[in-house]
This record gives sequence, structure tokens and C-alpha cells, in this order.
Amino acid sequence: LISGDLNLDSTLPSKLPPPPVFRSSAAPPPQGSPASRRARDDTMVGLSEGEKHFIRGGIAQDLRADGRRRLQFRALTVETGIIPQANGSARVRMGATEVIASVKAELGKPTILHPDKGKVSIYVDCSPTAAPMFEGRGSEELSAELSVGLQRCLLGGKSGAGAAIDLSSLIVVEGKACWDLYIDGLVVSSDGNLLDALAAAIKVALSDTGIPKVNVSLNNETDGEPEVDISDEEFLQFDTSGVPVIITLTKVGKHYIVDATSEEESQMSSAVSVSVNSHGQICGLTKRGGAGLDPSVIFDMISVAKNVSQRFYTLLESAFAAAEAVADE
Amino acid sequence: MGDLHLRLNQTQRVRLEAALHELQALAPAAAAVTFADNIPVNPEDTILKGHGTSDQDGEVVATVCGVVERVQNLVCVRTLRARYKPQKGDIIIGRVSEIASKRWRLETNFSQGAVLMLSSMNLPDGIQAEVCHIQHDGSLDLQPRSQKYGKLQRGQLLTVPAYLVKRRKQHFHHLEQYDADLILGCNGFVWVGEHAVVDEETNSNEDQHKLSMEVEAFTPLETRRHICRLANAVRVLSALGFTLTVELIIQTAEAGLSSDVEINNMLGAEFYVQTAEREAKRRADLSRRMNGPR
Amino acid sequence: MSAAAAAADTYSPAAEAGSKRRERREELRRHLAEDADWPRADGRSLHDCRPAFMQTGPTTAASGSAYAEFGKTKVIVSVFGPRESKKAMLYSDTGRLNCSVSYTTFATGIRGQGLENKEYSGMLHKALEGAVMLHTFPKTTVDVFALVLESGGSDLPIIISCASLALADAGIMMYDLVTSVSVSCLGKNVIIDPTSDEEAWQDGGLMVSYMPARKEITQLTLTGEWTDGKITNAVELCMDACSKLCEILRERLKDPASLASE
Repeated sequence: LISGDLNLDSTLPSKLPPPPVFRSSAAPPPQGSPASRRARDDTMVGLSEGEKHFIRGGIAQDLRADGRRRLQFRALTVETGIIPQANGSARVRMGATEVIASVKAELGKPTILHPDKGKVSIYVDCSPTAAPMFEGRGSEELSAELSVGLQRCLLGGKSGAGAAIDLSSLIVVEGKACWDLYIDGLVVSSDGNLLDALAAAIKVALSDTGIPKVNVSLNNETDGEPEVDISDEEFLQFDTSGVPVIITLTKVGKHYIVDATSEEESQMSSAVSVSVNSHGQICGLTKRGGAGLDPSVIFDMISVAKNVSQRFYTLLESAFAAAEAVADE
Repeated sequence: MGDLHLRLNQTQRVRLEAALHELQALAPAAAAVTFADNIPVNPEDTILKGHGTSDQDGEVVATVCGVVERVQNLVCVRTLRARYKPQKGDIIIGRVSEIASKRWRLETNFSQGAVLMLSSMNLPDGIQAEVCHIQHDGSLDLQPRSQKYGKLQRGQLLTVPAYLVKRRKQHFHHLEQYDADLILGCNGFVWVGEHAVVDEETNSNEDQHKLSMEVEAFTPLETRRHICRLANAVRVLSALGFTLTVELIIQTAEAGLSSDVEINNMLGAEFYVQTAEREAKRRADLSRRMNGPR
Repeated sequence: MSAAAAAADTYSPAAEAGSKRRERREELRRHLAEDADWPRADGRSLHDCRPAFMQTGPTTAASGSAYAEFGKTKVIVSVFGPRESKKAMLYSDTGRLNCSVSYTTFATGIRGQGLENKEYSGMLHKALEGAVMLHTFPKTTVDVFALVLESGGSDLPIIISCASLALADAGIMMYDLVTSVSVSCLGKNVIIDPTSDEEAWQDGGLMVSYMPARKEITQLTLTGEWTDGKITNAVELCMDACSKLCEILRERLKDPASLASE
């Protein structure tokens, strides 16, 4: 093996500097790369002064590089049922950003503290196939940031109030058996706005999820442990009306934009991700990016996000309907 | 068509398939090969095995995916999806990735960085230059030949597969009707931007000063519309896998303009299909005209 | 319902104590959610913060350090640097702020539970980066290490405030001090500076990191379901508390001599 490596190397002079990491606009850095690096993201994308200026100008003039207006989304496509082993799955594409979400349900035991509730865990993985800097530790911070952002927006308060998924609906036998939902997100390709895309994918994946129906027979012989019989045929659908969408408003200059590409994100001063449910209530919020914001700006961003979210709901619903139509064909 | 993720309705899908089918029928039967495919050669000829080929048991086999090209005795395989392979004299666009004391290293979509000596350049920015020398270790030396080459100012840089840009006499186009510049780099980087006036006098300090002064003076909206239209035309064409020429890009942009397609909707399904159909028709006309006299 | 009783609980066998504690907490929660006049377990009213004790310089090896004690929550933060960034880091013309939050294994009632708060490092970074003038120390790194000695609720906001005091103690250039306060939402009531018991039963939470002099929010996180008006009120409540907390920080910084002689 070693000799093979040496042979490869010997074609190049040993003094040669290592080839630079490939970073073009085709493989841009992750959107949510840790804030510490975001300040320098522009050097990572490698945008020139002129390009940065062009992007900022486009946002100020309400005509972005791909012709969108500030509060316009990229084309959104949705596919469902792409992972057969999962109970529900979805793929969401927004422009060049592509994410996959899968929902798996497993029987587990409720915790002592919450005997009447099931458990939900959300985890996001950034595959190195999406961009070279996702390799190894590079993706950890971003994965953690996205996971926490989604948990904050979907799981509600500690008491369970305001949660997207009603945890008590996951209970099978109180204190004995419950469903554990494992929601996994995967970033397949990254061109900005990962959090919104992931939340949309999770929402669609949950609508696609069928939880097997279970028959419980309490048996005294087995020491009060319930016998659970999982049906292979009957599935219960999830009520996903309460699952919110996340709208990230990226502030560039004096203006906010939705669905920013990574080139645009490199120019942001800060971003606020707001999750809004279908009743128009805010159920989670995170701010990213270094610069401080005036409180009134934040309140304005929240109300803008609320308005935009209604449009995004419609967009997502029509994409979902199209996906269902394709699946039915 | 793997790059296209569009929501096509039934009719659109049929139309797109028809257009692509027609295009395929029109294309000269290129010998596409993949790994370890046998490339048929006449064993009596002396064959020069070029790039992408290898010898296996006396037969020539391909080592890459691509199209077989034959020039006299030379047999080689031109790859489609590989990175840019530089040739002397190519005009390319790069991004400065590293600044050293005497030279800049540029990201040019090539496996190695390109080196631009500082003697002639002004500012670290998007750069277009000509490959003037390929060093034997494979790294590139670049040379901006005149004032026309140099820093790119305001606009956007798009990346397309390098094979879509063919080497031509002219890569630098000033589209006066749009007040825009369009530069097709041989490395697959395409620049669409505000027209820059070539000024022999500018030096770096003034330039930098000018830029900071003009922070609020953005590109005029009308010009920006044209730039975005052109950029989206490039995006559509490269997604469809059409070779990029200035004429085709302008034609596509104009088609969008005349049929009143919103700039953003140029990336939508309907416009893709229309573009494919238009190109199929154009090529069909072309081949009819060429075959006509015969 | 004294603090002593709460402490004793943690030593009882988990299963039974669990249910007993749950009942007690349920009762507490019910009262807090419905009755605005009900005093909290530690006798505070809804909008009372715990008394803040803050001190600079607990660790001598660090460039700057601070200790904060809010009720049961005890936090120590050390700041090292600016020192030269490791070579592996990408070149940059601004400084790097490296934040890390850790819990002692005995910080929580159940051993090692503090490990769950992995995201705190990132959140601390986000709260501070807007305040630190990173361009004043190019090519160098400032390390901020926070250690939670005892977790008693509102850990993150206290870490943030304490870290900003430590940064000030280290002489790092900042636009302003950052202070942070969180609120918990219980039923229709919003309570400020919640303890861990209150946090465990909250319907929603909101944390604000604020630069009082510049009137800028550096970080805002929110969980649970909120209406617009409620957010506005809660944020304003937090901002007010942040300003008051900042005064305490300022006093500590202005008068370190008297502190040393205490």
C-alpha cells in the first residue's frame, strides 16, 4: 500500500505545495458553518470585492443574482417515501440545496419523569459528500448547530407545551411502552438555507410517516409487562398540522432576504430563524451571526417571518401535493 | 439530465423528452465510451494512445468516461465531467485563493492552483487571464496579456462544466445593448457583469479608493436586470448541457424577455422545456440548411 | 418547601423520590401557572431575579477570569489570550473567539447530566462574538472557558454574563458588556431568572443577550409556543433586567480595589 502511495507521489516533485482545497461557487461552504468562521466565509467562498458588492447591491435593489426578489423562495421540490426502511421520509430541494429527512419509530420505554410521554430525538448529519469541508470534525459544529436549532423549534418547552409533535400521542402503555421517534436529517448538498430546508423536509417526512398499529394485551404472567403486538398492515397517520416551518431571515445591509444562497449568506450581518406554526404562532427562534440587532429590528423580522411563513406553507403544500401525485401515478 | 430537478407536468415532460430525443438524433454519432470499454482500432495502423486510454492485452481500452476523438493516429478520450484540463493559450477566469509576496494563486477549477505573477496585476479579485505556460509539474502560469485582462468588477461568476465552453477566438464579449460584459472562461467559469471601462491609467490605489467611494452607488437596476437574465440563461443552458456560445446565451435571454418570462421564472420548468425545444429546432434548421444543397 | 428540603430530596432513592418530587413540582407548577401572586419556591415574586454575586479574578493563571453566583448556580469563567492561533487554522485578518462550556460531573442532581448541554459552547460564542472587537487582535485566538460548578437554573445566561465580565477583566476590546437573562413561561405567567426546577416544567423559554449601552441584542433564543405580544413583553422584561445586571458588572469593574480588600 505504501509503495503504491509513493508511486503516485513520485510523479510530482516533492516540493510541490499541497493542492488547494477546491472551493468554487459550485461547492460552496455550508450555510450554517459555525459563526466563528462565518465572518470569514467570504474568504472561503472566495468572492471578490466586486461580486460582494454586486450581491449587496442586488439585495438593496430587490433583484437578487438569480432574479429573485428579497422575499422570494427558490423553486421547491419535494419527494416522499424515498427511504423504504423508515416509517416516513422526504427529500426537499431548494435550488441547489438538498436535504433528506427520515422518521423511524421504535418501541421504547418512557422515562420515569414522563411516564405518559413518548420520546423524540432529532439529529442532523452533514455528509462529506455535500462539500469537502464536511469531512471529519468540520461538520460537527454545523451538525450540532442545526440539530439544536431544529430541536428548539420542534420540541417545544420542557413541559411539552407548544411541541410540534404531541408526545402523549406516542404513548402505547403508560409507564411501560411508548414510541421513540428518531428524526434524522441529512444534508446532501448545500447551497444555503439549510435549516429551513431541513425543517420543511421533517414536516413532509412526518406527514409521510405511518406508525404501526399496536395491540396491547396486559398479561399477569409476564409480571405486568405488556405484550405488544405490532401490526404490519395497519398504520396510523400522524397529525402534522402542528408542525411548524422555519423561516430564516438573513440580514444583508438594511434588508432581510429569505432562502439565501451560500454566497448571499457570506454577506450577512446576522440571521434570525423563526419557526411559525400554521396558527401563526411563534414556536422557536434562534439568532445567528455576530452583529447585534436593535430590538425593534428583531420584532420587525419576527412579523415579516410570520407573513412570509404563510406563503411558504402554500408553497410546501403544493410541492407536497405534486409529490403525492407523482407517487400515485 | 441528472442535474435537472424540476417539477414537470405530464405535457412538459413529454415535450422535453421529444426535444431531447430530436437533439440526440441530430448529433453526430459520437462514440461514447466508459471505463474499460474497448475502443475499436485498426490493428494494422500504428496507434498513438492519448489521454484516457490504456493498453490491455493488445487492445485499446478507455480509462475515463467520455467521447472518443481521433486525430490521425492519435486516439484519445475526451472526458465530460472531469475538471478543467488546461491548454496553452486558454483564456480562463479564476478566483484568487492565496496571496503571496510576488504571486497569486488562483482557483481555476483545475486540480492545481494557477500562479499569476504579481508584476502586472493590480488587485486581488476575480481574475481572467491566459494560460501562457504549463509547468512540467502541472501547475499553471498565467499571464494577463493586456489591460483588457485583469480584475473583474461587478457581476456574478457562474460555474459550468468546462466542456461546455469551447475554445474560440473571442471569449470576451461586451454586450452593448445590455451594458454588460460576458466572459466565457475555458475553465468553465463564466462571468456576467457590469461593463467595465478599460482604463489604462487606473492604478490599484485609485481603484480601491473608487470602490470604497462607490459603495452606495450600485449597479443600475436596468443593467442588473440584464445581467440576471444573462446569468439565468447560462444556468438554464448549462443545466440542459448545451455548449455555451454568446449567440445562444443572448438568444435565450432575449427569448425570456420577449415572452415576458420573469427573470426568476427563467429557472422554472416551462422555460427549460421551451429552451430545449428552441435549441432542437435551431439545430434541426441548421442541419437542414447544411444538407439542403446536397 | 425550603431549599434544604429540595437538597434532601436528591439523596432519596430515585424511583420514589422521582414521583414524590414530581407531585411537588406539579403543584408548584400549577400554582405558578395560574396564580400571579404565588411566591416561587425560593420566595421570589415572578419578576424578581436572584441576588447576583459576581467577582473578577478567581483564577490567577488566566488573563482574566470571573466568578458568578446566582442562587444555587455557580459558574467560573477563565479567559486566555489573545495568543497566536494554531497553524492549522485558516489565515484570517480578524481574531478568533474560542468558547467552551463544561459542567463538573457533580454540577447536576444526577451525575453527569450537564453533559447534555453540548450546544452551550456554540451559543456562548454567538452571544459574545458581536461584542468582542475581533479585528483588534488579528491572527490570534482568545479562549473563553466556562465551568459550571453547580447548575441551579438559568445556567447559560449566567455563563454569558460571567464570560463578558471575564473578557473585560482580561482587557479584551469590546463594544459593550454583554449581559444575559432568561425567562420561563408557565401557563399565562412569565417568570424571570428561573431555577432548574422551574425550567424543568416550563412551557416555553426565552433568553436574551443584550448590550445595554448600544441597545443591541446579540442573541435571542426562544422555545415553546408564543404570541407576538408575549414575545415583545418578555424581551422587554429581559432587556430591562440585562441593563440592571450590567450596572452590577460595571460596579465590579470600576472598583476592583475595594473588592480585593473585602
